[in-house]
Amino acid sequence: MPTAIAIETICRRNAADALHDKLFRGVLRVCALLVLAALLGAALSTLWGGREVLFGDGWHFLTSAQWNPVENRYGAWAPIYGTLVTSCIAILIAVPLSFGIALFLTEIAPLWLRTPVATAIELLAAIPSIIYGMWGLFVFVPFMANHIDPLLDSSLGRLPLVGALFRGPPLGLGLLTAGIVLAIMIVPFISSVMREVFQTVPARLKESAYALGSTTWEVVWDIILPYTRQAVIGGIFLGLGRALGETMAVTFVLGNAYDFSTSLLMPGTSISSSIANEFNEAVGLHRSALIALGFLLFVVTFVVLLIARWMLRSLKRKEGNA
Amino acid sequence: MTDLAAVAAPIAPVDTTRNKIAVRDLDFHYHDFHAVRKIRMDIPERRVTAIIGPSGCGKSTLLRVFNRIYSIYPKQRAEGDVLLDGENILDPGYSLNRLRSQVGMVFQKPVPFPMTIYENVAYGIRHHEVLSRARMDERVEQALRAAALWDEVKDKLKRSALGLSGGQQQRLCIARGIALRPQVLLLDEPTSALDPIATGRIEQLIEELKKDYTIVIVTHNMQQAARVSDFTAFMYMGELIEFGDTEKIFTKPDKQQTEDYITGRFG
Amino acid sequence: MSASVYRRRETKNVVAQILASSAALLALVFLAWILWVTVSRGVHAIGVPLFTRITAYADQGGLANAMVGSLIMDLMAIALCAPVGVLAGAHLAEYARGTRLGETIRFLNDILLSAPSIVLGLFVYVIFVLPMTALTNGTTTFSALAGSIALALIGLPVIVRTTDEMLQLVPSTLREAALSLGIPQWKLTVQVLMRAAGSGILTGVLLALARLAGETAPLLFTAFGNNYMTYSPLAKMASVPAAIYQYTNDPNPAMHAIAWAGALLITLFVLALSLLARALFSRKKTSHD
Repeated sequence: MPTAIAIETICRRNAADALHDKLFRGVLRVCALLVLAALLGAALSTLWGGREVLFGDGWHFLTSAQWNPVENRYGAWAPIYGTLVTSCIAILIAVPLSFGIALFLTEIAPLWLRTPVATAIELLAAIPSIIYGMWGLFVFVPFMANHIDPLLDSSLGRLPLVGALFRGPPLGLGLLTAGIVLAIMIVPFISSVMREVFQTVPARLKESAYALGSTTWEVVWDIILPYTRQAVIGGIFLGLGRALGETMAVTFVLGNAYDFSTSLLMPGTSISSSIANEFNEAVGLHRSALIALGFLLFVVTFVVLLIARWMLRSLKRKEGNA
Repeated sequence: MTDLAAVAAPIAPVDTTRNKIAVRDLDFHYHDFHAVRKIRMDIPERRVTAIIGPSGCGKSTLLRVFNRIYSIYPKQRAEGDVLLDGENILDPGYSLNRLRSQVGMVFQKPVPFPMTIYENVAYGIRHHEVLSRARMDERVEQALRAAALWDEVKDKLKRSALGLSGGQQQRLCIARGIALRPQVLLLDEPTSALDPIATGRIEQLIEELKKDYTIVIVTHNMQQAARVSDFTAFMYMGELIEFGDTEKIFTKPDKQQTEDYITGRFG
Repeated sequence: MSASVYRRRETKNVVAQILASSAALLALVFLAWILWVTVSRGVHAIGVPLFTRITAYADQGGLANAMVGSLIMDLMAIALCAPVGVLAGAHLAEYARGTRLGETIRFLNDILLSAPSIVLGLFVYVIFVLPMTALTNGTTTFSALAGSIALALIGLPVIVRTTDEMLQLVPSTLREAALSLGIPQWKLTVQVLMRAAGSGILTGVLLALARLAGETAPLLFTAFGNNYMTYSPLAKMASVPAAIYQYTNDPNPAMHAIAWAGALLITLFVLALSLLARALFSRKKTSHD
């Protein structure tokens, strides 16, 4: 017949369990706090590493366009400008493209086609960025030089005002090329967020619009987009955060030049590519300036990603990809 | 509503057996929702007591107090006394390990652990007792036999429990519960996810088990309560409306509400 | 409704649909283009020397030391970030559900997930490479260990997030069932819940590996690179992505061919891992309930 276990055994075990539970909980908490430590550490260590420049030159570091290792003078404006311009180009191209893809995958494509196409586009995000860099340098740069740059120079380049942006020799390398490569890289991130949020629109909302005789485009533009606006903006910021911090893809195609030019067809530099190109040859103040650049990059991407995640917080989280 | 509570005084079933669990003025809150109000009832030893009532009446909540499983959720709390063999299990000093080795529980959906069939049964035992291999084999076999599962699984003890059918999984969960040799077995709608044949086997098993265990079963199926239980408690909106002999409850209940529910006039 | 209004709306709709379909097609074209270039240029340089010779032979060499280095550092990185990530994920899912600290960590983990990898490289440079240099009077500077730590920081958020999500998918009845047997929470977490979410957690580890195996930027100033075969975690170590970076910058076309071969290998590895993780995840989803 069932016999109870001796009470003192149980009490001893109870105390041991409580102790183990407490230890386990402590270990888990430390591991979770490491995530915070990584972010905080990245910020503080780069702030520390770049202190000579950040605290020595202050605002001048941000606004000066002079980057001269020979004279040991460092101003971050050229890389900041390059980072902002290439990211803006990337966003301008990637957003409509991603919107089209999301639209195609949620409303237009036949059902059997949706999963394979979506998987293929998400594979774009899995390709290592150095591969984008190589493809950019060896394939896309010549393509731009032979086909796109001359075309732009002879068409848009003739326009008043904006023409200045598109005039220049057909180098292939440059801000525009880097922006386009970045655009391809961030399309899968933005389109997968958009697709996901478009799917959250309640079917009855769409159905009632279709029932009134709306076309697919009208349903998307008048119903789906307003309904999902916040998360769509979040997805765009997520893409922007990626574009700002991307290194390898832009380093090869940007041309690594600190000279200023209004033209997008001319070479430039970006924060990440400056760091990647120069860090191992830099010493002293130069190295400090590069770490300071890293700090700037971290702060800017942190803020952008903070906005992105804040806007996306209502969205149900998916597998660990995006 | 308020005077109903006053009328629903403790009703001790007319039986010679002693009471295993005594519930005294039990209240239960989910956050700020008062889910169970002023329950008083005595649950007799080695009998099957069924708790019935419409969904949301608090019957599962009441059951979940008996092994304090609710306490893993921060915003749930119970007030009052629940005496197991005269000791108050709601007293924070009452060891959870002790409580849970004495009160086993089986849930609505079968939840086998992601382990072998053997390990599913041995896992709980191993936490409470240190046994030799042979003794453990013996205990596992006993439990599986008691749960009427042995003959079906004795040749595949080392296979994953997830491969068993729903009914077998539920009997495995019962075996897992009784392997700890508890005195009370709580069954929370144990057949609601099973087909009629598997349900029949579980009901048969309950009949067998009551020789050794005090069983409390929550069910939304009145026929099941009528078939398997000795005593039936009817709950409605968090209150215990009527408690007594199953036969009496199902044939001539004292309260109009009980009769209405049993004859299907509301629910 | 007048016919002209109707026609205009319909035209707009058709144009929009065509543009949207072209956008999808364009993305697929770029995918195909990049993959085609990688495969067609990479296969030429794949041969026995690629796997047997080290980078010190330059255009007569291969990537043997880089492959070994990548393998060592990727595995070390996973060994560092998998346990921490799984335990941190378990903390979020099992102990910090609904708490403010838990929500904050979850939120910041998502930010770490997209943080610029080059900054993580700088972070490890400042907190690990510089102190090591100072401590050893410069005999140890860049090291495989530093590289692994940087890569681990990239894998960590992926594992934290997947583990958290996979544990949350485990039905709460399983927790109740174990606790009602008197099993303590730590045993429940390690022996029951992690086992139940096992394939999901493995998916996270594979995704993390896929993510960090292709990373170049954080290795440049942590592991640096090496033209010779090294096995010591405290030595500078070669890696395939860093070797590709170095070779691509070289003017010699024969070096480019080797870089493409390396690019092909790494792309195949990463894509295979991603697809495997995907397959594992979808199987997990179907087998669950």
